[in-house]
Amino acid sequence: MKLNRSAAPEAKGKLEFHLPEIKQFQLNNGLKVLFVEKDNLPIIQMSLIVNAGSRFDPSGKSGLAYLTSMLIDEGAGKYSALELDNEIESLGSIFGVSTDSDLIYMNMLSIKDKFEQSLELLTTIYASPLFTDADFEREKKKLLTMIIRNYDEPSYIASTNFRNLVYNATPYDHPIIGTLKEVETITNNDVKHFYRNTFSPSNSHLIVVGSITIPVLEKKLNNYFTSASFELENINNISTPIENNSNIYFIHKKGATQSEIRVGHLSNKRTDPDYFAKAILNSILGGQFSSRLNLNLREDKGFTYGVSSGYYYNKNYSYFQIATSVESKNTGEALEEIKKEINGIKQSISLEEINFAKSYLIKRFPAMFETYTQTANNLTSLVHYSLDKNYFNNYIQNIENCTKDEIEEAARKKIKTDKMIYVVVGDEEKVLSQLRIISDSNIIELDKFGKVKTSKSY
Amino acid sequence: MKKILNIEYQKHTLQNGLEVVLYKDNSLPIVSVNIWYKVGSANEIEGKTGFAHLFEHMMFQGSKNVPKERHFRYIEEAGGNLNGSTSIDKTNYYETVPSNSLELALWLESDRMGFLLDALTQEKLDNQKDVVMNERRQHYDNQPYGLAWELIFSNLFPRNHPYHWPTIGWMKDIEKFELDDVKKFFRTYYSPNNASLVVGGDIEYDAALELVKKYFEEISSGNSIPKIQVPQTGLEENKKIIHHDNVQLSKIYLAWETTKLYGKDDATLDVLADILTGSKNGRLFKSLVFEKQIAQDIASFQYSGNLTGMFIITATAKPGVKLDEIKTEILKELRQIEEKGITASELERSKNAITSSFIYSLQNLNSLVDQINNYNTNLGEPNSFIFDLERMTNLNIGEVNNMIEKHLNKPFIELQIVPKEAEDETE
Repeated sequence: MKLNRSAAPEAKGKLEFHLPEIKQFQLNNGLKVLFVEKDNLPIIQMSLIVNAGSRFDPSGKSGLAYLTSMLIDEGAGKYSALELDNEIESLGSIFGVSTDSDLIYMNMLSIKDKFEQSLELLTTIYASPLFTDADFEREKKKLLTMIIRNYDEPSYIASTNFRNLVYNATPYDHPIIGTLKEVETITNNDVKHFYRNTFSPSNSHLIVVGSITIPVLEKKLNNYFTSASFELENINNISTPIENNSNIYFIHKKGATQSEIRVGHLSNKRTDPDYFAKAILNSILGGQFSSRLNLNLREDKGFTYGVSSGYYYNKNYSYFQIATSVESKNTGEALEEIKKEINGIKQSISLEEINFAKSYLIKRFPAMFETYTQTANNLTSLVHYSLDKNYFNNYIQNIENCTKDEIEEAARKKIKTDKMIYVVVGDEEKVLSQLRIISDSNIIELDKFGKVKTSKSY
Repeated sequence: MKKILNIEYQKHTLQNGLEVVLYKDNSLPIVSVNIWYKVGSANEIEGKTGFAHLFEHMMFQGSKNVPKERHFRYIEEAGGNLNGSTSIDKTNYYETVPSNSLELALWLESDRMGFLLDALTQEKLDNQKDVVMNERRQHYDNQPYGLAWELIFSNLFPRNHPYHWPTIGWMKDIEKFELDDVKKFFRTYYSPNNASLVVGGDIEYDAALELVKKYFEEISSGNSIPKIQVPQTGLEENKKIIHHDNVQLSKIYLAWETTKLYGKDDATLDVLADILTGSKNGRLFKSLVFEKQIAQDIASFQYSGNLTGMFIITATAKPGVKLDEIKTEILKELRQIEEKGITASELERSKNAITSSFIYSLQNLNSLVDQINNYNTNLGEPNSFIFDLERMTNLNIGEVNNMIEKHLNKPFIELQIVPKEAEDETE
């Protein structure tokens, strides 16, 4: 007998999901700890985060936070750079450093049996980096080369310039890894000074997710995290952004076969009450495969391999961004379609779309706590954005509570066409004339580092 | 520690030849459905390359009972995630969903295995041809160093070898995909007897098997799968290729043909790669990046498929450094190992790192289930984690040392990717 396949099977039964309990405590030296016990595997993930991201780069020294993070594990305590790496790898642990505009992250993943030794190494890296001149010179050279390399990447050029433009006149308006000119001027003393002015336990948080109980963990952490907190100079230099008016910025990339496109504007804080309405809105517009933008530009027109939109948050602001890469000859048309979708979503959103987006955001919730790393990242976001400690307990309810009115209002008021920044990186021979046809505003030509080119007449 | 790598499972083979592996882990309410079709770019022929990868696209375009654009939508609405990937030997499709939506995932996977062609149209093909061409532009043509991979494959293997072309296909072939060829390719390779299905996560064995049978048992099996013709390989002398790209830093790739996946020296070469470039203390990293500082980065790896494999070393030169200098240093370090050997502590360090990485890899259900399917497809035994790990941890120093003489003294491909022209740009 043939199976009747015509209808999609319904979900069966209710799911049992218990949100992990988040415990918070403070060590004797002032370091705050967030902890989740998780023991389906014998592993422990630690993330030590410091308020020392690129927004704290002093003026004229962009890249300083990033370079400091590159040097942090190049030798510490009694270990040289190579010895330290050898210790970590011999334990079978994995250590990594990363930096964004707000934070420096030091992550250590270890097998339970090697936790204590891994912890000792992590605290050594945090409290006793060597910062030798030889290591400094090598890593600085590496960073300078990395900057050169990144500017070969059309997607990096587009994203970095877009970000710098929307964050105009704030400490977020420069590349996280810095610029060639400014990194050149950084000295090892700058690094040491930056470190001494940020890496205080009172300015850091530790996230732990793993197979260990809280009394044991607390005792071990207090044994190894012994460095004292200290006063920081006032380096919190947040200023109000000066929003650019809507413009098309064009960056020439000779021989490019596609155009990298970024469209968007500055947006508000992560803790503002419209966060959930914007999350639903974004999911409908470009936050998933079955979104308006992707179904149009990819599945209908075939202009691109993919297009997405998102709200990208840091501690003080966020930006809204649509990103895609399209074949050069379709650049103008793709921009027209993006504009059409932006205007469309401001006109109307159906209840069906809203329910679909809510279902997507709510039902994937358990999977957000699958791996040790994912769970640690969730705890990190609580700290990063100063979220309420019941944030995850209330997450599903907050999504469910969003009304159609609130979501439509977010679309009407929070997507700002008059402030929309367009960044296009492509080959001028193939692309510029298309931009001129669609644009009623100025086209501003930049070099790949964001400097306005002296105007040409057309 | 190794105990947790010893996984329990059930394995069944349906009447139509479909292999089914069930793996139970009830720690989170999610389940992963993963299908491997034993078809990759190696099953294509010259002039018609890129079909296997194209299917990775067409399989998401709906089937008899699933309207276009609904496949993604159903899974997203259920709170799941999904994707597929294509390699030289296989194509896989997978979705992880909340466990109460397991039936939905099986319905979708079985509908496209059994009834894809009922819904395949010229319009869908034309649309996805455009998408694939844009994927090729984005990831290869417009990407710095993006053509390296296909330049290595097409120079290391002769024109009639199944590994000669890139998995995404040549642009000129993608442009002229024909609907009839596409249909024929599907009928030949996408049958239950050429696939392996793993369902893993929050399941009960009997109930899961019953659901799998409900959706897959009635799909009829296909004809026997055509055998791949493999011509003789082996370079007679070193071959140097210089490619000019939109880049500012030069990059070198050295590639030797070695041994196939799970072949005798496959794992030994993995360990050698770790000892060369797996950490700051890796021989090549330490010499070229840390001490001499002539390279910005360096990597090495054994890449192996069902037919053969290759060992690759690649490095980016610092500004102003000649690639010949990099090459000389790399070969010097290899000679050093050949003559003096690696140390016991180097091997021990690698083994520790590799052992832990096996444990860490169990964290994510989707990748765990994919690995189970890899083992089932290529080794016939889903529970092969310990076997796989011990291929490496049982090695002795001599076996690793031996790799240089045995595999890396042969003729090799040298690919240099160098700047097109000095760009007239300053900050």
